Amino acid sequence: MSFAFKIGASALALTVAATSAFAEIDAAWWKAAAEPYQGVTIRGVTESSPPSLYIREVLAPEFEALTGIRVDVETTSWDQMFDKAIKDMEAGTGIYDMAYIEQDIIYSYLSRDFLTDLTQFLADNPDLKAGTYDESNFTTFADYFKDDAGHLYGVPMEAFLKVYLYRTDLFNDPDIQAAFKEKTGRDLAPATTHAEYAEIAQFFTDYGNENDMDLWGTTAQAHTGHVASWYEYFESVAPTFGVYNWGIDADNNYGASVENGGEMNSPEAVEAMEWWLSMRDIAPPESPASTWTEVGTTFGAGRAAQGLVYGENAGWIAADETKSLVVGKVGVALPPLKDGILEEVEGGTGYIGYYDGGAFGMPHSSKNKEATALFLQYIGQNEVQPDWAVAAPRVTNTATYDDPKVQEMNTKLSGYYDLIKDKGYLFAGAPAYPFHAQVREATAPVFYQILTGDLGVQEGLDQMAATAETTLTELGYRK
Amino acid sequence: MQSKTLGWILLAPTLLILFFFGVLPFIYVVFVSFHQWNPFAVDPEMVFNGADNFRQIVFDPAFLNSIGVTVLFVLFAVVSELILGYVLAQAFMRDFPGKAIFRTIHTLPLIMAPIIVGSVWKLMTTPSIGIIPKFLDDWFGITMNIATSAPAAFATVVIMDIWHWTPLVTLTLIAALVSLPSDPFEQAQIDGANKRQIFWHITLPMIAPAVVATVFIRLMDALRTVDEVWMLTGGGPGSATRFVGVHIFKEVFPKTNYGYGSTISVVVLYLTIVACWLLYVTMLAPRSKKD
Repeated sequence: MSFAFKIGASALALTVAATSAFAEIDAAWWKAAAEPYQGVTIRGVTESSPPSLYIREVLAPEFEALTGIRVDVETTSWDQMFDKAIKDMEAGTGIYDMAYIEQDIIYSYLSRDFLTDLTQFLADNPDLKAGTYDESNFTTFADYFKDDAGHLYGVPMEAFLKVYLYRTDLFNDPDIQAAFKEKTGRDLAPATTHAEYAEIAQFFTDYGNENDMDLWGTTAQAHTGHVASWYEYFESVAPTFGVYNWGIDADNNYGASVENGGEMNSPEAVEAMEWWLSMRDIAPPESPASTWTEVGTTFGAGRAAQGLVYGENAGWIAADETKSLVVGKVGVALPPLKDGILEEVEGGTGYIGYYDGGAFGMPHSSKNKEATALFLQYIGQNEVQPDWAVAAPRVTNTATYDDPKVQEMNTKLSGYYDLIKDKGYLFAGAPAYPFHAQVREATAPVFYQILTGDLGVQEGLDQMAATAETTLTELGYRK
Repeated sequence: MQSKTLGWILLAPTLLILFFFGVLPFIYVVFVSFHQWNPFAVDPEMVFNGADNFRQIVFDPAFLNSIGVTVLFVLFAVVSELILGYVLAQAFMRDFPGKAIFRTIHTLPLIMAPIIVGSVWKLMTTPSIGIIPKFLDDWFGITMNIATSAPAAFATVVIMDIWHWTPLVTLTLIAALVSLPSDPFEQAQIDGANKRQIFWHITLPMIAPAVVATVFIRLMDALRTVDEVWMLTGGGPGSATRFVGVHIFKEVFPKTNYGYGSTISVVVLYLTIVACWLLYVTMLAPRSKKD
């Protein structure tokens, strides 16, 4: 395909996309509202993820064509994104008009008044309020970006569950089913308990080994020098054993150790860690070097029979033939749980996994708040959501679930959207800690030592709990 | 007088840039190092705490560990680069078939950004996927996993640094070797000196300033290595490659511990100056005295 043809095709696709979106929104209103801001360029910084890339490559050009306001979206690595945004907001330089706010950092930002109250801003500037934008359109995930008064500080742009993915082609293979039954005495089906999960994982690792296949029984996000492993344990594994909020009790003077009312080094935490490490040991060899990205790649390469995978990767794994070798072979389920946890969570205590996601917020230091408010409303409308949800499997608006395109994608993803819609309430975002990164970074080095075997599980968790309490004391949260 | 004024005027832009982007930030870092400051603490303001941070650093096992692994890294990397760089420089002083192509290929790593070098080496060393573990396994039956083996990770980081920076050492030593006069070597040969004697008593003393300058540059670079290691291991496994630069980065940026992070930066700068001074004193000062 020639370069000129590619350009032409891209332009045509963009025009079609833009035309279809424009057809459903009030173009005249947007043009009129943007009239005073012609020549303005708004800048945003975000993580280089599929939903963000869609903003940069589709929504921003659409908005530019519609309003004449230029939008520069800088996509960078996860840590660089935070570094740049925090420095900008801390110094008040106003380089960025929009910043990606991951759900787990919102409490830190709110504690420092880094963000503009969008609800209040639109109430104070009714001329800028788009008829197609309504905060009530968002799913309950938007609640994570609200203050106690219910005011919104970020327009949700992505929301996923970290789900249990499994290979339907392997799980439905009659020969494999027979072999599994012979070996374990039970039918092969997605695991609902840790014991079942471990049994399946061991079976497939052995199966891959015996048949000279590059196949292992589970993924493991177990990097020995990156916080991704820390997150997998605290967000996705520990809660399934009943250890919530990192084992820190905010209502009990931020105790982390059992001695001080916390659970970071509790028997349940130890059990969770030991189980997870045993899974890591039968996962593909790259697992100790895997972050969330590599786990997706491992699963997409067909190297694992099952695993806990961030939803942002589920879309391309299940549907993108240019990247994934397991298209059409992926099933989705709830993560395995310890007995009694599901009932506990349904009763209103705790959660079973991570509800990941983020929003676009407006730094208090933005110098183009009016133009930025227009763009944030643009990306928050129901009208732009379906194509976005298909391009990157994220749902932030309730109406998106019922769109035919999304329903079609839901089928490809084996009901992933249904899972978010129906079971999303069982998952939760990060705890409301303003000290999120500080405690994580303080405890992570000890955590890595557990992974490398330099520290035993109980000894390591004891040290982590002590380190967390020391850090919280230094920061002034723990008295 | 007029030319002096003109000189200052011409220098002024450079001095201003140096002041605002070099001196002023340094003074600010020193100022911050005497404070407790974490913007996400209950009290987000800077609080003066005297020398508390400096006192804390002496007993901080994480910092001491990072200093330890950094010193080892510098030692292995810089010494290897110096030896290898000298051997290659001597080789390039002679003619051999394909010399121009080899010299070009040999210099290529120099033009790569450290972050790219880290990425490339990560791809090459990722367990079970990378080309290096694959061939080590296929050919020698050696299992290499830099994510679980601290010695393997450390050795890989050292080798990566050697691969990246040896060309710089080679180029500077070639420049030094080319500029040497031929008379002392001819006289030594006439007097019957062997190759080893010529190297120790003529070549090395004459290229010593270039060697010291090269070691200074590499020492300072190696002490602040971040990007390559960040990409390759992230400082792991555990803290096996958590060099002081990575330690400072993690302390200052994700942890936003600006006060203590600044203290570590100041101390590391001090240690770097001391190391360079010791090097200068041991390698060049005796020679200057003799001259």
